[in-house]
Amino acid sequence: MTTAPLSAALRVPTRLRALAALPFVLAATAYPLLFAVWSGRLPDPLATHFSTGGEADGYTGRTAFAVLGTVLLLALGAGWTALVRRGALWGAWLTAGLLGTLLGLVVGDNLDAADPARVVSPLSNLAVAAAVGGVLALAGHALSRLVPPEGPAGAEGGAGPDAPRLDLGAGELAGWSRATASAPLTALGLLLLAGGAAGALFGPWPLLPLAALIAVPGLALARVRVNVDRHGLTVRSMLVPRPRVHVPLADIAGADVRQVDALREFGGWGYRVRAHRTGVVLRSGEALVVRRGSGREFAVTVPDARTAAALLNTLAERRGRL
Amino acid sequence: MLFRVDPASAVPLGDQIAACVRGALADGTAAPGERLPAARELADSLGVNVHTVLRGYQRLREEGLIELRRGRGALIVPGATAPDRARLLTRLREAAAEARELGLTDEEFLDLARAGLR
Repeated sequence: MTTAPLSAALRVPTRLRALAALPFVLAATAYPLLFAVWSGRLPDPLATHFSTGGEADGYTGRTAFAVLGTVLLLALGAGWTALVRRGALWGAWLTAGLLGTLLGLVVGDNLDAADPARVVSPLSNLAVAAAVGGVLALAGHALSRLVPPEGPAGAEGGAGPDAPRLDLGAGELAGWSRATASAPLTALGLLLLAGGAAGALFGPWPLLPLAALIAVPGLALARVRVNVDRHGLTVRSMLVPRPRVHVPLADIAGADVRQVDALREFGGWGYRVRAHRTGVVLRSGEALVVRRGSGREFAVTVPDARTAAALLNTLAERRGRL
Repeated sequence: MLFRVDPASAVPLGDQIAACVRGALADGTAAPGERLPAARELADSLGVNVHTVLRGYQRLREEGLIELRRGRGALIVPGATAPDRARLLTRLREAAAEARELGLTDEEFLDLARAGLR
């Protein structure tokens, strides 16, 4: 088992972190300012939850809503700052734009309302928030050019002589298959759904669909089947046949088994894209790592990865000989 | 778990697939309660007929090593005794093959097995 040097890929420039934090800092500054500027014109409590028709049906104290929104923005900002990478900077700006606009619009809907029960929040708020989020995402993407691209990964040749091999007869057919599940991903998905439901009860209702949008793909990825066979390497969800991740045998330069750290190397669980590696990361621990023709790595955490790597190397070499 | 079959062998392919599952269960690379790949998926992986895989799965079901559930695929029976059962079945097959090599008829082998139970 080898541990590749990670320091190069792990170092995130301070400038990138600052750019990730910036939209959240701006939103978390502007949002409480709204309350300060409009202090005399806002009812207490505020209408903060609306039916699909837009009529108010849930209320939160003025100070509580101000604190809640600011804390939410700061917490999300901290998360993005900690885990940001160059290719995903736009995501930080999208998140801050969406949430900041939604919070601001809800407060704006309450402006000059004598009775919070008669506050109306039009569905178009969602479209406005999406538009602002989209524009900010573009801005974030443009800003990522201010950060130099991450350095190249260590270049290695084909499968080394000490990479695992399988003693396979010339006419023998072989395949390897394994189902694997992710406890952290399942827990995070369910937690997010519960959080969204609670948020929709006490806060703006779009929190629920927003949470579901993130949680459902996560839950689909929480149980996958990994196949290694004459076609190459395939990873698919046990719930739905598509989408799946497939690396054709012809594109496999070598396979090995490695211990991976989900947070340190991939910044979390699920389908992760990094500068020089992609991964279906379900837990920290044993992973099958294949090097592609392009030099990129694809990793999937799965038990008994040594057998899978051995079969992949053997099949790839057998194919090369034909 | 690793499936490997040799079309050149005298042993039917379905039986070879069953032997892979038995072996994996015996040596711990497959665990009780684990789900086997769908027959169609495994057939495509190995490049063999679906019915060949299903014959192998059917054999494992007869041996009490897996459960076949409609729409849910094949599941290794849960319970701590499954690996031991797989080991016993592997040894039984080895004994039967050895008996054939010695020229014993099935009836003679069964008589010996019965005698061994007494």
